[in-house]
Amino acid sequence: MRKTSFALALLTAAVLTACGGNGPSAGNQTPKTKFSNQITFGDSLSDVGTYAVGGVAALGGGQYTINGNNTSVNPELTGKNYTVLVAAQLGLPTPCAAQTGLQGTASAGFSVPVTDHPECFNYAQGGARVTNPIGPGNKALDKPGAVSLGQMTVPVVTQIANHLKKVGGKFKSDELVIVMAGGNDVLEQLGEFSAGATAAGGTALATSLITQLAPGTTGGAATIQAAIVTESAKSTATSQSIIGAAITAAARNGNTGAAANATTIGNTAGAAALAAAAKYQSDQGPVLVKNMAQAGIELGALVKNQILANGAGYVVVNNLPDVSISPSAKAQSAETQKLIMAMVAAFNDQLRNAVAGEAKVLYVDLATISRDQATNPAPYGLTNTTTPACDLSPAKNPLGSSLVCNKNNLIAGDVSHYMFADAVHPTPFEYALIARYVLEQMTVKGWL
Amino acid sequence: MNVSKNVVKMLVAAGALAAATGAMAQSKGQFAMSVGVNQLVPKVESGAISAPALPNSLGDVGKDTQPVLLVNYGLTDNISVETALGTPYKHKLYGAGAIQGTGQLGTVKALPAIALVQYRFFTPDTPFRPYIGLGVTRAMFMKETGSFAMTALTNPGAGVPTTFSIDNKWTYTGQLGVQMNVDQHWYANVAFLKTRLRTDVHFSTGQYQHMKLDPNAYILTVGYKF
Repeated sequence: MRKTSFALALLTAAVLTACGGNGPSAGNQTPKTKFSNQITFGDSLSDVGTYAVGGVAALGGGQYTINGNNTSVNPELTGKNYTVLVAAQLGLPTPCAAQTGLQGTASAGFSVPVTDHPECFNYAQGGARVTNPIGPGNKALDKPGAVSLGQMTVPVVTQIANHLKKVGGKFKSDELVIVMAGGNDVLEQLGEFSAGATAAGGTALATSLITQLAPGTTGGAATIQAAIVTESAKSTATSQSIIGAAITAAARNGNTGAAANATTIGNTAGAAALAAAAKYQSDQGPVLVKNMAQAGIELGALVKNQILANGAGYVVVNNLPDVSISPSAKAQSAETQKLIMAMVAAFNDQLRNAVAGEAKVLYVDLATISRDQATNPAPYGLTNTTTPACDLSPAKNPLGSSLVCNKNNLIAGDVSHYMFADAVHPTPFEYALIARYVLEQMTVKGWL
Repeated sequence: MNVSKNVVKMLVAAGALAAATGAMAQSKGQFAMSVGVNQLVPKVESGAISAPALPNSLGDVGKDTQPVLLVNYGLTDNISVETALGTPYKHKLYGAGAIQGTGQLGTVKALPAIALVQYRFFTPDTPFRPYIGLGVTRAMFMKETGSFAMTALTNPGAGVPTTFSIDNKWTYTGQLGVQMNVDQHWYANVAFLKTRLRTDVHFSTGQYQHMKLDPNAYILTVGYKF
């Protein structure tokens, strides 16, 4: 009888455990803070379609990633920018570009009236810098004869001013403001840096050639110089072709030893060119780092004096991801990569210092995360952190940019978990990782 | 908290009674029941959430205290069997490691069903009778409940809340206890149980996480021998 009781007790235990055995549920999906709007200032990394018009739209593009909802191909190919994911998670309307248009070549469809959209609050524009109005893709940088994309590249300083003008000068304290910039300050300066080094090298090459070759000629210095200028202007010009043109010109003007000593002369001139380029770089590198520090100071000041001072209550400041790990940087010399890293660090250090101690600012260190992703990709789910997912060859991608990349011009294979869409821009998967990290940091901050 | 206080008072009272009167205790063929509280404290060593996640995204599990009813039966004067009945333990799940500071990410209800065989030292009439036990445990997890933060960290903006489930496990438990006999019927009981428990958490995103929970259980009860 007593044994029966014990058996009954065990049975009761079993019944009790069976009761209420409900399965998983989602729980409360409401954030702690109910934001009224999301307002974004920045560059291509936050741009949700400023240039998704005309020829760019016709090419199936508009954002700097693998464009379009291709989740039927792979669930990660959402085509969504991190700002879209964050807004959706916070229950806010899908962000749209506050301004659209293009100011480039009309025949290519790149001339579309610039239009402001009062109902839209994502001001980020591809090519935008912090305060300098001329960023990559701006028509002011067009090369003669080339097709112009004509990005407006309205800088962050003006983006903020435009917003304040639109809403009467104040942020609402329950709005989420996202700021992310600096990348184009790196890229534009690097472009100038590279062009400057090439020019310095070219000048040194010409000087060396003329110095070596002219004495053997009868007044041939001007002719040699002219030959160098003519050759250099060709799109196919290389150091070797310029050296060849100079030697040919010298020989024609009576320098009998020119052809025989071509190798020595070429080597000497080439060495002079490299030395001049290197000197330019070592002289100018610190200037670039200093300029980036200044840009960081300026962005920090904008956050404080234009955003916080005008009533914003929640400001996410994403720092500049480490551009030195991008395919763009990896294609350059180790010295240049080091320079890029120093530029990013200078910018981020100043930005972080500027907003340190601001309770209403969340500084999100994407630089560290991006660097970690490059060295330790597996936990992030990344399968490739070095190769652009988009086929950027001119035949497949007339702009050589993810701005017009979609499922039809990807490289072969599964690129769904690649880090980069093009030389600097993230894939939708990487954007999702950024969104998660921003939200994780907002959670730790106590906002969510 | 009040429950714990009351239990302490009862135990103090029981101890006083034990000192005042002679005692008898669990003997062969005797059936006993005790009620009290059990605090279940997971000793967590979390694995990292699988990709895609911040490296070293860990979890932590909070403790919970619930009422418990212990039922035991003396097979001999020294060997007894015991089981426990109780309400489910509600554990809060927290982010740890790389996601330390994200706070509560979910909750889960755990119900361990347990059957122990015990050896009780000394004779049944000893006032303080220590015992050891070894048993089989079925750890059951239910009502796994996610949160905004869990979705934000795993699949933001997709409109699909992240859910998770935890594998139920068969495992074993060791027990150390002391029974303090007050009189022929009443007794107080203190026990510590250690369970080996390793399980896996499966997220609806396809991610998983291995968790070593190895919970400690601290039981205080007051009982009656029939």
